Amino acid sequence: MAETKLLLEHAHDPSYRTLDGYLAKGGYAGLKRALGMDRQAVIDQVKASGLRGRGGAGFPTWIKWNGIEKDKHAPHHFMLCNADEGEPGTFKDKQLMEETPFLVIEGMTIGGYATQADTGYVYIRGEFVDAARAMRKAIDEAYAAGYLGKNILGSGYDFDLHIHMGAGSYECGEESALMSSLMGERGMPRLKFPHAPLPTVAGLWDLPTVINNVETYAVAPFILERGGEWYSTLGASTKNSRGTKVFSVSGHVNKPGNYEIDFGTTLLDLFALAGGVKGTLKACVPGGSSVPMIDADACSKAVIGYEEMAEVGSMVGSGGCIVLNDQVCIVKFIWRTALFYANESCGKCTPCREGTRWLLQILERIVKGNGQPGDKELLLEICSQIDGRSFCGLGDAAAWPVVGAIKAFPQEFDYYIANGRSMVESDLVLVG
Amino acid sequence: MSELIQIGGMNERPKPPRPEDLSLRFSDRAIRELEALETHYPERKACILPALWIAQREYGGYLSGEALAEVAFRLDRSYAEIEGVATFYSMYNTAHPVGRHMIEVCTCLTCQICGAYPIAEYLKEKLGVGFGETTSDGVFTLHEVECLDACDRAPLIQVGDEYYGPVDKAYLDNLLDRLRSEAASSVVKLADEIVQVHLRETERDR
Repeated sequence: MAETKLLLEHAHDPSYRTLDGYLAKGGYAGLKRALGMDRQAVIDQVKASGLRGRGGAGFPTWIKWNGIEKDKHAPHHFMLCNADEGEPGTFKDKQLMEETPFLVIEGMTIGGYATQADTGYVYIRGEFVDAARAMRKAIDEAYAAGYLGKNILGSGYDFDLHIHMGAGSYECGEESALMSSLMGERGMPRLKFPHAPLPTVAGLWDLPTVINNVETYAVAPFILERGGEWYSTLGASTKNSRGTKVFSVSGHVNKPGNYEIDFGTTLLDLFALAGGVKGTLKACVPGGSSVPMIDADACSKAVIGYEEMAEVGSMVGSGGCIVLNDQVCIVKFIWRTALFYANESCGKCTPCREGTRWLLQILERIVKGNGQPGDKELLLEICSQIDGRSFCGLGDAAAWPVVGAIKAFPQEFDYYIANGRSMVESDLVLVG
Repeated sequence: MSELIQIGGMNERPKPPRPEDLSLRFSDRAIRELEALETHYPERKACILPALWIAQREYGGYLSGEALAEVAFRLDRSYAEIEGVATFYSMYNTAHPVGRHMIEVCTCLTCQICGAYPIAEYLKEKLGVGFGETTSDGVFTLHEVECLDACDRAPLIQVGDEYYGPVDKAYLDNLLDRLRSEAASSVVKLADEIVQVHLRETERDR
């Protein structure tokens, strides 16, 4: 199955980053249609499209939009864009903001109209200065031409859009931590549903808030322009995944980059789009560092879809696909994964704060050649204690890759622990 | 082998100035920027992160005790709160003063398997410093960072507001020479660029 370009169709055309160029390519047709529709009808189109959140969790987008109170009583409704892309292996939001900023802005405006939002924020990770500059330029142009601000396109709808920059924290990609950070706090997660109201009821400043990923917003203009029914025909071969998904393919492939495919495409087809595997395929982390890795055999069976990936023991996640060839020692790779989570744990809850460090300590002693019998089981035990017990998803995300790697490559862990050295003989230096 | 990235030694935090010693260094431009930012949020507290970026620029790239105290003063918050927020985020330089350029080396997953550790070793050797250290001439600070999310360009480094990748030794030699000859601090430039992207065209003055 070939690449289907919807979001990325004009990505390489610099004129698409200007309002004139965007309009020339049919931009803002979705918003114009939406503004002529009843608010609920806009949400119904998103429902019909089957769009699910592209940030990692795959939650149906329309449910969030529909969850905002219909009669506006609150002083503000907010539309929040999670552009704190931090998942190792993922760089799609970066490209979308740099090269298709108007898709994101139009999508947020459509969502804002549907949910009576008066203010939007794009929370961009601090390192993404290029993406932020592109978004800034596009927002300024949109304001100047009446696509943002007061009385958008004469519809009577007002919407302000601001950029808010992060300052270096993976945890802030978690939606409640992102809201804490935007409100001027340490980026730590908050109590979540069912223990606390959903963001649609009490989000930013305890007011109704919709929060979606960059890519999710970028899809909305197409859904409104061409209809939810049309969108739902893309990826129809899968159980419950509709539309296209941008995958960031990196690691041992010949042409690393972002590739947009229909759901239902096989993982091997995605590798082929990325120029094929460099060397012999060993394993793949298909959806960002948080998802379990799968071996070459599972890769050959994997079909890209939320439910389909679960069948091979992994997830679509954020679409950060890291390809590993046979030169990579899985134990060292997982040691680096554990280091990442230990570095990025915010420290709020004990299972994650302590657990991520324990995982790192044990993996570190294995990598140094001092692994002890039973270390593999100890790792699994710690993971089972973190998974499901941490305050937010970061703890789960730290545990899954370790469990996944041990499940897929138990012999590599056994060998390393027993012999004090890696089973993989390679010149590739993986530790510092 | 690995050291958790330290964001600030707990025992060596800068001391806040005594209230009578507080000197305010924000320029008029910084004050105007802060005023514009306040209109973006229903609560002034939300200006803490952007105000810290302003401070990082105004104080030459390092958030000293004086810098944090000024942010606290400008936003009418406590010093402890501002210090607490600032030390959470890895891009605020709260642990120690930094050089004119910060070389941030990503060693995270894709970079790891694409040769980042040998790159990091080369930089350590060439600059004669370890991670978190500054060269004796004050030009470079070397840092290890987590995923910068441009994995298609691995191995990747960030200096100021620019990403560079894929890098190899020859590329780094050229880059370091070029950076050495640049008098302006890329650390300050990064902070300024980040402040500017918050502001609408009508709110910017430069």
